[in-house]
Amino acid sequence: MTSGDMIALMPLLILVAGSVLCLLVGAVRPGKYLYAAATLVVLAALFWSCAVTAETDLPGLSVTLFSRLSSAFLYGTGLIALLLARSYNSRHGIVGEEYPATILFALTGMGVACAATDLLMLFLGLEAFTFAFYILVAIKRDSTKGGEAGLKYLLNGTLSAAILAMGIALVYASRGTIKLAELASGNGAPEPIFLAGGCLMLLGMAFKLSLVPAHLWTADVYQGAPTPVTALLSTASKGASLVALLLLLPIFGAWSGLHDILWMLVLLSTLAGNLAALVQKNIKRMLAWSSVGQMGYVTLALVAAPAGGTRVAAFYLVVYAAAGLAAFGAVSVLSNEEECEALEAYRGLGYRNPLPGAALAVAMFSLAGIPPAAGFMGKFAVFAAALRGGEVTLAIVGILSALVAVFFYLRVVVVLYMKPSEGPAEAVRRLDVSEMVALLVPAVAMVILGVYPQPLLELLGKILF
Amino acid sequence: MLGNYPPLTILIFLPLAGCLLLLPLWGRAVIARPVALGVAAAELALTGWLYSSWQSLSGVPAVLPGYLLMEDTPWIPSFGIRYTLGLDGISLLMVMLTSFIFCVALAVSWNAIRERAVLFLTLMLVMESGLMGVFLSLDLALFYLFWEIMLIPMFFLIGIWGHGRNIYSTIKFFLFTMFGSLLMLLAIISLHLLHARQSGRATFALHDLLQTQLPYDTQLWLFAAFFLAFAIKFPLFPLHTWLPDAHTDAPTAGSVVLAGLLLKTGSYGLIRFGYPLFPLAAQAFTPLFYTLALIGIFYASLIAFAQEDMKRLIAYSSIGHMGYVAIGIAAWEPVALSGSILQMANHGVTTGALFCLIGMLDERAHTRKIADFGGLWGKMPLWSFFFLIFSLTSMGVPGLNSFVGEFLILAGTIHKSPVVVVLSFIGIVLPLIYMVRLVQEVVFQKERRPLALVDLTLREVGILATLLLLDIWVGVHPAPLLDMIHLPVQLLIGGTP
Repeated sequence: MTSGDMIALMPLLILVAGSVLCLLVGAVRPGKYLYAAATLVVLAALFWSCAVTAETDLPGLSVTLFSRLSSAFLYGTGLIALLLARSYNSRHGIVGEEYPATILFALTGMGVACAATDLLMLFLGLEAFTFAFYILVAIKRDSTKGGEAGLKYLLNGTLSAAILAMGIALVYASRGTIKLAELASGNGAPEPIFLAGGCLMLLGMAFKLSLVPAHLWTADVYQGAPTPVTALLSTASKGASLVALLLLLPIFGAWSGLHDILWMLVLLSTLAGNLAALVQKNIKRMLAWSSVGQMGYVTLALVAAPAGGTRVAAFYLVVYAAAGLAAFGAVSVLSNEEECEALEAYRGLGYRNPLPGAALAVAMFSLAGIPPAAGFMGKFAVFAAALRGGEVTLAIVGILSALVAVFFYLRVVVVLYMKPSEGPAEAVRRLDVSEMVALLVPAVAMVILGVYPQPLLELLGKILF
Repeated sequence: MLGNYPPLTILIFLPLAGCLLLLPLWGRAVIARPVALGVAAAELALTGWLYSSWQSLSGVPAVLPGYLLMEDTPWIPSFGIRYTLGLDGISLLMVMLTSFIFCVALAVSWNAIRERAVLFLTLMLVMESGLMGVFLSLDLALFYLFWEIMLIPMFFLIGIWGHGRNIYSTIKFFLFTMFGSLLMLLAIISLHLLHARQSGRATFALHDLLQTQLPYDTQLWLFAAFFLAFAIKFPLFPLHTWLPDAHTDAPTAGSVVLAGLLLKTGSYGLIRFGYPLFPLAAQAFTPLFYTLALIGIFYASLIAFAQEDMKRLIAYSSIGHMGYVAIGIAAWEPVALSGSILQMANHGVTTGALFCLIGMLDERAHTRKIADFGGLWGKMPLWSFFFLIFSLTSMGVPGLNSFVGEFLILAGTIHKSPVVVVLSFIGIVLPLIYMVRLVQEVVFQKERRPLALVDLTLREVGILATLLLLDIWVGVHPAPLLDMIHLPVQLLIGGTP
């Protein structure tokens, strides 16, 4: 490994070294300063990925413009989740150095997944961050819900890891290579064993993206996990999985079955996600179900992949991530000693806590796809891609389920601003600066991307094929 | 002159910039009210300047025929969306109406909105920006953006300051409108793609899309989606059910803006986009359009007759009046279309005034039930005078503005379809019945409940007198406005075979 390779891989090295140091130093001198240190580490990795243009091509890993920028985006979401976590964790009695260390480890896994060039590295990256989430979901030790969520995620997760591994094994058995580039250039009709492997891999990815029918863990895990963890799980984890899926899809070549499988996943996810979200009374469960639907829209763009859909899928995911961070960020800021998750608990909160209230409201409008929030541009791009790809049925089903979704997103806004609060109002907690930043950044991003998405679209056009 | 400043952009973003002025005044409604009204007045002055100079503007070579001013820059090239604004006679009339109605709405809610007043003013200004954008956009994607943006402030206006079942009403309003709009969004994108396939250029610009050659079947589907979106806003029977709820439960300013402006976006959209883009399909839809409009006229009038709540009665009468606008558009004939466009403005003034009057009464009596009133002529002579005049306008009495619009609509339509005109003549009598009943019970009958009522204040008289002045001015001398929309109407009609 040359020094040039080291420079290119530096963000990963920074993160993994930070994670180990965090554990070691934390064992000697535990304290809240570790959050600040971890934040600095992520910031350094983020800055390095954006600013240093060194590229490299190692066996299994290659640092390209695509990998640098997609991992920079994931580090950015991790940064916001860390900013949220510091104050939340001290309020909720989550102590110890393992929290920041695990977050750093998760981000390392995501960075690896973005840079993977063969199936094994991809698997390692994906499972590394999933493994970190097994810990993070259940990190609140005295919480029964957290324990339940952790167990559910672990069981489902290991099953999907096994499926993914089996898929990789079958693909290797059939083609004799695990290199993505070689697999993608294989021409001729794909053989049955290869297809069996490929489909198993798709199923594994559907689990990670919570696409129906592999979505059943989502609501319970989102609800039971500490909210800053949910914020990260619903954005960065989805983002990294989408990156992995984008890397995987070319290996199918022109196989028409891929279209049909994705088509079915989109149909089921948009319908089931949005309809199930309709009846939720718990805001975290509602957002969980809604994320199933939102991932359906991301996949809808992929169904139309030949018609420029990959760029649109990535754009939609960035927009969704901003909304997810703002929404879960608001929930986590508003959760004092208890989780603030019943929808009824939000009555009149928009006036008592203007910043989290506004961030949540903007996120709801964005998720509902109402301009000027960025979600509109995302939906616009997705439906344009779908129609360009000739997917009229999916576009109509998608847009009608988006209408259903408008109802439950608006309900949150109604509770926030139109229902008077009941009982004596609690004293409003003053927000930390870190919390304000964590709410403002995604909220402002949503408005800017909603009004002027052109720079991001151009950037995505440059790094995606 | 405005020099190099783009007047249309200023028109759209001036109210939004006004919101920034309001931010430091948060919680200080006493100062914020005049500031907001000042911004709205500046906007009115700007449209007034445009009106006074429209004749000198026409004939500028740099713009499309019929347009007085245009602005055009790329906005999101990746999607092919441009920031294209255009002002012709029709949009000028709508823009004038908008800036005027917003001044009225802000003035009429001066004392009525006491809680969270600055938030209210901010939302009003945001909505004004949105409406200006709707009436000025010539890029379909841009139009759609503004079309949706204006929903948000209205959603909050009804939800926060409304009364009764306002939350139910505001969600119903939002979902109804979204339903139509989302399908229209798909249609807009499809049209864009079809055009791109034909010409190789990805664009949402109206004047490029007008050149698209569309087979009849495609036209039908796309027009159906546009028609649905606009018919819900219009509102046409049987898609009108959101309107009585939203109008009744909204605060007075909200009702004034809803009836005066939001309904017009539906008819404006149909005139500007729906008919020119899909001429063949529009022709095929004409019988359906006539039928729904006629059913709406009769049905709404009968329902209005049975209302106990004055505000609900006026809301239903709105559906009936918009039915005439619909007939004029369906005829797609110069005189009738001019009548429809004029009637859009007239209806905004008249119904706006009626909602103001009922709001003023409600502020005093805290009830809007017809059965609670009676004998107001003795107690509130000024109020009763204005109420009588605007009721007469609503009935279509000559010399007042509604007569002009309805007359033109029917006179134009009679060549096209005499049967429709005969039926709608019968429909014209119906407002006479329910409005006479309303006036008779509220103004003239004996007092039924002892209510301590004070007559109008100077501010309220000022608002109503301005509205009345416009009412009479258009009633006796509509020629300048008709001149203004003459050329665009000719161009629109000429565009269809």
